[in-house]
Amino acid sequence: MAGTLLTVQDLSVGFLTEQGLVRAVEGVSFDLEPGQTLGVVGESGSGKSVTAKALMNLLPSYAQVGGTVDFDGRDVFAMAANRERHFWGVEMTMVFQDPMTSLNPVKKIGEQIAESLRVHLGRSRGDALAEAGDLLEQVGIPEPAKRLSQYPHELSGGLRQRVVIAMALACGPRLLIADEPTTALDVTVQKHILDLLDDLRRARGMAMILITHDLGVVKGRADEVMVMYAGHTMEEAPTATLFAEMHHPYTEALLETIPRIDTPSHTRLVPIPGRPPEVIDVLDGCPFAPRCRYSIARCLTDQPGLTPHGAGHLCACHAPVGTTSGTQARSANELAGTTAAGLDMGQFTRNVPVADLGQSGAAG
Amino acid sequence: MKYLMRRLAFMLGVLAAVTFLVFSATNVIGDPLFNVVGFYVSVDCDAVIAGEIEDVIGTVAGTGIGECERVIEAREKYHLDDSLPVRYAHWIGGMVQGDFGDSYANQMPVSSIISERLPKSILLMGMSLVVALGVSIPWSVAAAYRANQPLDRASTAGAFGLLSIPGFALAIILFYFFIVRWQIFPSRFMDDNIFSRLHSLVLPAASLGIPLAAVYQRLLRTDLITTLQEDFVITAKAKGLSDRRIMFRHVLRPSMFGMITVVGLNMSALIGGTIIIESIFSIPGFGRELYVSAIRDDITVVLAGVTILSTAFVAINTGVDLLYSYLDPRVRRAG
Amino acid sequence: MPADTNEHTVGTLGKFATEPAARPADAEPDADRAAQRRLGITFWVCIGWILLVTAAAIAAPLLPISDPDQIGIGPRNSGPTWDQWFGTDGNGRDIFSRTIWGARVSLMVGFFSIVAGFLVGGTIGIVSGYRRGWIDLTLGFITYVMLSFPTLVLFLLVIMLFGQGLWIVTGALSIVVIPSVARLARAITIAFAEREFVSAARLLGATNRRVMVREILPNVLIPMSALLLLGLGLTIVAEGGLAYLGLSVADGFSWGKMIQMGAGLRTLQTAPWVAFFPIGAMFLTVLSLNLAGDRLRQYFDVRELGIGSR
Repeated sequence: MAGTLLTVQDLSVGFLTEQGLVRAVEGVSFDLEPGQTLGVVGESGSGKSVTAKALMNLLPSYAQVGGTVDFDGRDVFAMAANRERHFWGVEMTMVFQDPMTSLNPVKKIGEQIAESLRVHLGRSRGDALAEAGDLLEQVGIPEPAKRLSQYPHELSGGLRQRVVIAMALACGPRLLIADEPTTALDVTVQKHILDLLDDLRRARGMAMILITHDLGVVKGRADEVMVMYAGHTMEEAPTATLFAEMHHPYTEALLETIPRIDTPSHTRLVPIPGRPPEVIDVLDGCPFAPRCRYSIARCLTDQPGLTPHGAGHLCACHAPVGTTSGTQARSANELAGTTAAGLDMGQFTRNVPVADLGQSGAAG
Repeated sequence: MKYLMRRLAFMLGVLAAVTFLVFSATNVIGDPLFNVVGFYVSVDCDAVIAGEIEDVIGTVAGTGIGECERVIEAREKYHLDDSLPVRYAHWIGGMVQGDFGDSYANQMPVSSIISERLPKSILLMGMSLVVALGVSIPWSVAAAYRANQPLDRASTAGAFGLLSIPGFALAIILFYFFIVRWQIFPSRFMDDNIFSRLHSLVLPAASLGIPLAAVYQRLLRTDLITTLQEDFVITAKAKGLSDRRIMFRHVLRPSMFGMITVVGLNMSALIGGTIIIESIFSIPGFGRELYVSAIRDDITVVLAGVTILSTAFVAINTGVDLLYSYLDPRVRRAG
Repeated sequence: MPADTNEHTVGTLGKFATEPAARPADAEPDADRAAQRRLGITFWVCIGWILLVTAAAIAAPLLPISDPDQIGIGPRNSGPTWDQWFGTDGNGRDIFSRTIWGARVSLMVGFFSIVAGFLVGGTIGIVSGYRRGWIDLTLGFITYVMLSFPTLVLFLLVIMLFGQGLWIVTGALSIVVIPSVARLARAITIAFAEREFVSAARLLGATNRRVMVREILPNVLIPMSALLLLGLGLTIVAEGGLAYLGLSVADGFSWGKMIQMGAGLRTLQTAPWVAFFPIGAMFLTVLSLNLAGDRLRQYFDVRELGIGSR
């Protein structure tokens, strides 16, 4: 597509360990337009962080990467192989989860921000520091001039994360990847940081990839959402569509886990039973099948590919939610009391009538 | 500032304790008079001077008028008739003004001995440290960068080998090859100009510095590897910084604490090693003088030496502590 | 599963893997653990050498080797031959035999001084670290004074006072060892004293002494015993240096004394082996102690923290 900023095709990442090849990411593809936000959602181990690190050239040497990544016409992996010096940190930057450990504790904040400016854009020390001060202001830090000569441990968690964001924005990137940017912060601060990221993105016309385990975070903040599980893409859709009519059982289950403010008190929280697979296990069928309410025999043997379900909506499922095959599969399982994979249906505490599926659990 | 004051007070306290201990030991165990004149007196010198006892020159040592005159002189100068604490006080007082007393064996003031010989020892120790740091830092960086790969494993084996050789043994080996067999370096200290001095000190500095370098390398390498696991290194990578820049500007400084501590604590080992090395390579340094004086009970020199060495040790370790707070801003608050 | 994977190695810092987070949390490095449990062949070879030297030293009087003090057992300053495996020195004495006999002094002084140092220093450190307060300050001051006291001078004073007997020298060397050991023990104790199980013991009414002995001591002993081997290497070297200067045991000789006797310019020119064999013996022994000691330290360190090695 002309004008697309980022095109990822069939990305796969494996790690060679003593136990064998660990497949962290398998066959992930997506596009990103300039100024667009993509939300990547999944549990720990879903491969979302590894995807980001693959894009950012941060994988260790024992990683094996396949597929292609194209940034505005440039082959990202080729750039990595050629040790391109001024791409990452300039055009594509990243913000990490824990601001305390991602900042160098023995260097002043001003220096850390100015470093990108001096190394990539050749600014002098004085100019770089002045610009750093501006950046601190842009990310909403009070008394920016004073902060320049402070150390990370002198700031609160929220302020530190703003510094990390300022650092990432220093050279005017066109794509910012935020990997769980608010997970390590207080709840009250989380909203502010997410709003900040949103404002900055709009002001700069920057594209963003927002990685999180919390589906609620991406609602209203992302243009498109990609749901990952065990290294695979489960579902991909524009946000509104995803929340309105999700098709993948995993997405549905994720939505159900979000506590709602209007449920009666003492309602039990809804977990997803089971655990994500050991990623060393080679799975024949769908990776989510062991935990899926909709699983049928085919799910255990045939890995579902991504099939389209309308404009820009892809889903990898044999019995998707909201379709006839899906509804049939679920009721059959409920009657039988167990799924094809042997999951006991009684574990599900939420008794949502089958007829109401399709509009189920849409969070607030 | 308050911290500095406290450290200084502590320093002085330690020095006072050390010097008092040595002073008391040498004055109580040995003969205070012998300590400063170098011979025993077997007659009553007052009586000899007054002419009451016959002057028996040449037959019994310590009975001649000449010697007795020296004895009377020494008694006055060193306050030998006073009690121990008083003598100690006088000695400290003199020292602060730069007067360490006289060395009987060398027949000259100790302060001249110090000014003549100490610079050479300091030069040797300085060079050794330069060798140790200059070798260990690049070595550690190279090893940490390629951790657990063949080069690193080989270098760890090498490091163990080098730190297992005692300094004096390495000195003898180097002496054998470079002086006796191949004659690249002089067999004694050449004092003509700064270059000949440095040239003469190459092997001694290497004997002291290389085993130290091995010790430091192991420490620094481990700390570098630990620091490389930190999250901020990933951030730096994400900023697109080069490996070299990350290593030298972000990782090296926070990793040096362990090594610096050991440098400070090892000072006394370095000083002790200097004494032996000076003997092997015939370097007219203060260490050798100290040793020789101790053998012959030239106590004024020994006392001066102890004071200097202890002061150096304490000062260096205090400096190391201060260096900590410079290197790690998180410590400054606590200090 | 993609049919063919393009193998790009998009690396991080050189070839160095800085990404423990990227490894799946559940992939327990069993291979690492097993490697950790095995001490490795190098370790056992080193232990073997140490035991060999110790056995030889202890059994010296019984071994079929020549009398180490016998002058003229072979031609003077001759190199290694079938009769004298390490050659002879300037007085025609058998160096091989002397090396074995020299081991007795070197090892005895080294061993007893480090053990005594650990016992006394360990006690000081534990008491200091646990009780804190003025006990800690006083002991700390004393320790620091001992640390700053120039080693050589200490030795000279002791020798002036008490002569150069075997136990005198051993005692003096252990005094040198004590402050460093005390510091270490104190640091470990402090780290442990703040842990919950100590508070639990105190809550149950244990006296200070009981806590120190029952709770702290075992936990301090483990890391420190690993350092015993390393310390032994240091004391052997220290004794060697002192012997070189003539400050060690007067009656008898150690490796250091042998080295000193072989280190004169003339001797090195004509008979370098006189110095080199004892140097070799000392080097191999200290090297074995260092390698084994370090391996032990690794072994206990990791188990302590409960993390697999990387």
